[in-house]
Amino acid sequence: MTVLGYLANGLVFSSIIVLGSIGLSLVYSIADFANFAHGDTMTIGAYTSLVTFGAVGGLGGAVLGLPYGFFVALVAGIAAAAIVAVGTEKLIYEPLDVDSIGLLITSIGIAFIYRAVIQIRFGSDFTRFDLQPLRPIESLVPYGVRITLHDLAIVASAVVLVVGLHVLLQYTDLGRKMRAMADNPDLARVSGIRTKRVKLWTWVIGAGLAGAGGVFLGLFNQLSPRMGFNLLLVIFAAVILGGIGSVYGAMAGGFLIGMINQLTPFFSTVVEALPIWPGWLATALENLITIEYANAIAFLIMVAVLLVRPNGIAGEGAT
Amino acid sequence: MSDDTTGPADGVHDGTGPVLSLSNVDGGYGEVQVLDDLSVRLDPGEIVCLVGPNGAGKSTVLKTAFGMLTPWTGTVEYHGRDIGGMPPEEIVREGIGYVPQTDNVFGSLTIDENLRMGGVARDGGLDGVIETLYDRFPIIDEKRGSKAKTLSGGQRQVLAFARALVMEPDVLLIDEPSAGLAPNTADDVFDDVREVNDMETAILMVEQNVTKGLGISDRGYVLDQGTVRFEGTPEELLNDEEVSQLYLGG
Repeated sequence: MTVLGYLANGLVFSSIIVLGSIGLSLVYSIADFANFAHGDTMTIGAYTSLVTFGAVGGLGGAVLGLPYGFFVALVAGIAAAAIVAVGTEKLIYEPLDVDSIGLLITSIGIAFIYRAVIQIRFGSDFTRFDLQPLRPIESLVPYGVRITLHDLAIVASAVVLVVGLHVLLQYTDLGRKMRAMADNPDLARVSGIRTKRVKLWTWVIGAGLAGAGGVFLGLFNQLSPRMGFNLLLVIFAAVILGGIGSVYGAMAGGFLIGMINQLTPFFSTVVEALPIWPGWLATALENLITIEYANAIAFLIMVAVLLVRPNGIAGEGAT
Repeated sequence: MSDDTTGPADGVHDGTGPVLSLSNVDGGYGEVQVLDDLSVRLDPGEIVCLVGPNGAGKSTVLKTAFGMLTPWTGTVEYHGRDIGGMPPEEIVREGIGYVPQTDNVFGSLTIDENLRMGGVARDGGLDGVIETLYDRFPIIDEKRGSKAKTLSGGQRQVLAFARALVMEPDVLLIDEPSAGLAPNTADDVFDDVREVNDMETAILMVEQNVTKGLGISDRGYVLDQGTVRFEGTPEELLNDEEVSQLYLGG
């Protein structure tokens, strides 16, 4: 595969990570805790869309190799993730009178519950959307880029959602209120912002984007009850790298971490080609920079960036 | 106690009931009591200044009046209606504004967005009010599109006032308007306080700078250990030997 090919794969994977990262960062900045159930919220989105797609799969024509029914299923996945998150906030997080660490630990328990429920219904095996696997887009193959129309759909949808979020944050009343709350929650209340309501919308948006990320993760790989949880640490890395609490930082961090993750095989070819001395170092690097360690490498790069910029790429954490 | 804390002050605005009053309030943070049987009132159109040593409970009075703290006992009344414990976001809708001492602007939002946030509870006429405020405070008009964190201390304070004034409140609670400002800038801010008052907003203010704070006020209260020790006109307080000895730094 060429560099271009790895970059293209990175772009697809980044799109999924970005969708997950934004929600985690948004909830962190406005609801004020690190939500460990965020990964499993993605899983909820994925499985809801799987079921919905099973019901409406054949619907209508197709866009980017995906039947219209898939987009209905996507919306269902987004909605389910949002509804479950809002329900959890209302029934569990809000009534709990604990600090952000207490909420964090609670959310780990919630994550187990989400996953267990999915596992009871669907079992722990891998499954996939009932879609015909596509061949890579012909015109790109000569450049070493082997991505399918489905991959393109993932990137395009992520771009639409990210641009939509940007417009919402910058140009709508709700977005300004969300930024105000992230900036200074006390002053937000003093100004008359009904913060509980804004918080609920934050859950809707954050979890909805996670749901979309989950659906795309299922489309990119396959579905399993652990799919979201397995990605959670990578998403945390992305969010911390971007500057926790910053939505735009999360976008940048998600993009970088996703890229690094998919570029690992390319790094290993680079290492092999370099005249590294002494020989044991070359061997060690060749053994370490492999796809199995892609996440570890992403984390190492996160640590390196944080050593230089302790608050992450976006600095102060302003939304 | 050399002064009567409950009797009527020779306020300039007799004849109508107080716009805001705290009566026999005990209160504080969590388990820690700060206010002890405290009674303070603000008449329409007045500027009233709360002075006293650190830890006397001055800021706590404002926070209790604004619903950030719930009074343990006693009442907080606005136009005769009990608002004790009503949350701040609802109290704003009643017609009371609050300017915190620190962190009183949204740094990552523009000046314009800060003012819009000040008016989230308005039903309409937001643009008109904001334009009026820009006319009144040209210092922020020039920087509408800039992030608030780029403002100087004095400019921030002006923006903090303006944000609270977007709701056109009857009452404005101001916590230490001169805190952290250079003397010249502080003078400007006090002028602004007076100007706000000329817009028929009654002001209850906490101020460390006793002479300047009382200097622009109609009445003052000297607080100590969570209760009112003295009450009177600025002249009475500044000239009272005991008051100045004990509380106003001689």
